[in-house]
Amino acid sequence: MRRTAVINEAGLRGLLGRVCETTRLLAPVKRGKASFDFEAVTDPSKVVFDYVRTVMPPKKAIWPTRDAILAFDLPKNKASAVLDETPFVLFGIHACDLKAVNQLDWAMGQRNEVTDAHYLARRKAATIIGMECLPDEYCFCTSVGSCETREGADLFLTPLGDGRGQAPGAARSQSPSYFVEVLSEKGEALTKQASGLRDATSKDEAAARAFIEKKKQSTTLKINGQMTELPDLLDAQYHGEAFQATALRCYSCGTCTNVCPTCFCFDMDDQVDLLLQAGQRGRTYDSCQFQDFAVVAGGHNFRRERADRVRHRWFRKFVYLLREHGEPFCIGCGRCSKSCTAGISLVDVLNSVLGEARKEAVR
Amino acid sequence: MTRSTGSGQATVQQRFPNQKPEALFVPQMAKITRAEELTGTDRLFEIELPGKRELGHKAGQFVQVGIFGFGEAPISITSSPSRRGCFELCVRRMGGLTSKLHTMGAGDELGIRGPLGNGFPMEDFEGADCLIVAGGIGMAPLRSVVQTIVANRERFGRMMLLYGNRTPDDILFADDLKAWATDDRNQVLVTIDKPAEGWTGNVGVVTTLFERITLDTSRRIVAAVVGPPVMYRFVYAELSALHIPDEHIYFSLERRMKCGVGKCGNCQINGKCVCISGPVFTGEEVRQFHESI
Repeated sequence: MRRTAVINEAGLRGLLGRVCETTRLLAPVKRGKASFDFEAVTDPSKVVFDYVRTVMPPKKAIWPTRDAILAFDLPKNKASAVLDETPFVLFGIHACDLKAVNQLDWAMGQRNEVTDAHYLARRKAATIIGMECLPDEYCFCTSVGSCETREGADLFLTPLGDGRGQAPGAARSQSPSYFVEVLSEKGEALTKQASGLRDATSKDEAAARAFIEKKKQSTTLKINGQMTELPDLLDAQYHGEAFQATALRCYSCGTCTNVCPTCFCFDMDDQVDLLLQAGQRGRTYDSCQFQDFAVVAGGHNFRRERADRVRHRWFRKFVYLLREHGEPFCIGCGRCSKSCTAGISLVDVLNSVLGEARKEAVR
Repeated sequence: MTRSTGSGQATVQQRFPNQKPEALFVPQMAKITRAEELTGTDRLFEIELPGKRELGHKAGQFVQVGIFGFGEAPISITSSPSRRGCFELCVRRMGGLTSKLHTMGAGDELGIRGPLGNGFPMEDFEGADCLIVAGGIGMAPLRSVVQTIVANRERFGRMMLLYGNRTPDDILFADDLKAWATDDRNQVLVTIDKPAEGWTGNVGVVTTLFERITLDTSRRIVAAVVGPPVMYRFVYAELSALHIPDEHIYFSLERRMKCGVGKCGNCQINGKCVCISGPVFTGEEVRQFHESI
């Protein structure tokens, strides 16, 4: 389904206010001087409509950094599955991050023909409100096919006019309006709670379209290749210089994978309460960049060299999972490059690998 | 090609059709019925599922063994599916969970998830001469292969078992080895890495045993290999020199499988999950994947 409408900023904040009276609302808020993060919000005036990226992806709303999957009783030696089905609203997620949610839906819901009920329980409990955005120099959604994602959202908002909504504390010279795409029953139900909503005109639709075009045109960072040709080109560079060179700079700190909205590797462990009566088996984010990620019992490390681990990250995103799923496991948000301690840019490395591959193909 | 379904639509648990999706990580509570010290570091457990339910495994598959508070570890099943009502695990003491397991005995309960992984395609071994190459604890999964052959002896050709260990004290299943050797269709060769007092058998790594076997090249030969990571390349070279085709060479590869159900990414060999596509891979696959051996 798709119905369109227009809501002004006051109407939108009013809607968020009504939502958080009854439901857990996770939305972008300002952190520190120039950072943003998704947090549980009870005051809608704190919600930021206009941000480039959050430090951690909205993945953590559906999949917390530590997530209980079993609750066990030690004296009885029994366990039961933990499923969190508490409804929540995830507000303000960008098209790229929405794409990442779809990728995780596949990875946890369908990959290897196994359904992870723990992930899906929380995913189904989510109502997702997307928000269009404008890029900075780290963004490259236009290269990875994520920039116009609507699938998986219940509502999607596009700023009208100059596209700049208002951050808290900003001068309120004008009150921007938002073009609203109503994409599901859940979305429809939400709009019923909103006031100040009017039907969209073809002029509104054109203005929203213009905003998206502006986003695409101002996204200057590009991957120099089509996604379909990437697996073969990267394969040819398996032992390529670019991964060796990147390894010389990488600290194996795992920041890139921890802030990645599509990375889904996890570790499992048990935590027991102080009285040794009960506990939880849970999972935490893991990272293929950690030195011991591929160590087996006995101590052998199957990715001993840093270059092996560096390569694995790019291959997982643009070779293995791209071949398996038909889409890259990168959505162009730029978080990894922005957060990297060593200043390694995912796109620069990829482009230099692609450049080498093409040079060698000519030879 | 699979596509995402958008709003997180649950799909059928196709890989484990008899299991509810929410039970994916919930272990069955099984009882240890017998425990035996095999070596200073290896302990054998006989395990019964509730109501003596069959585990229903294939030779070469594994289970996730769990103890609440200690976590889980993937352990290969060491008994053949022909054994009814119970199964066996051989556990080497390596870390926290396995150390805890070593303190447990008959009557104790542990969690079992599985069987997991693909296992050896025993139908390919049927009618062929079987070359089994084991290194150290690699004997544990291969015992399920050998037991399958021994339990259905007429279905298989000759069986040659080459088994390497560091010291005589590390040799697992010595009684089984002796029993298997009594059948003249079987050849059991054991070696240790360095000379040891009282040892009169072969000395040298497992590949030194290859010169002591004679293969009937007119017969189809199928190989199964499990051992420490360092062993595979050298054994593969020997098998290739014997002109055993890649598609009839089966390697069981060890990786640290955390979830065991193709989600966590820990056991990935290039693009393959060992817990789903393995742990048993053919020579063809091993050639294809840089990270395999």
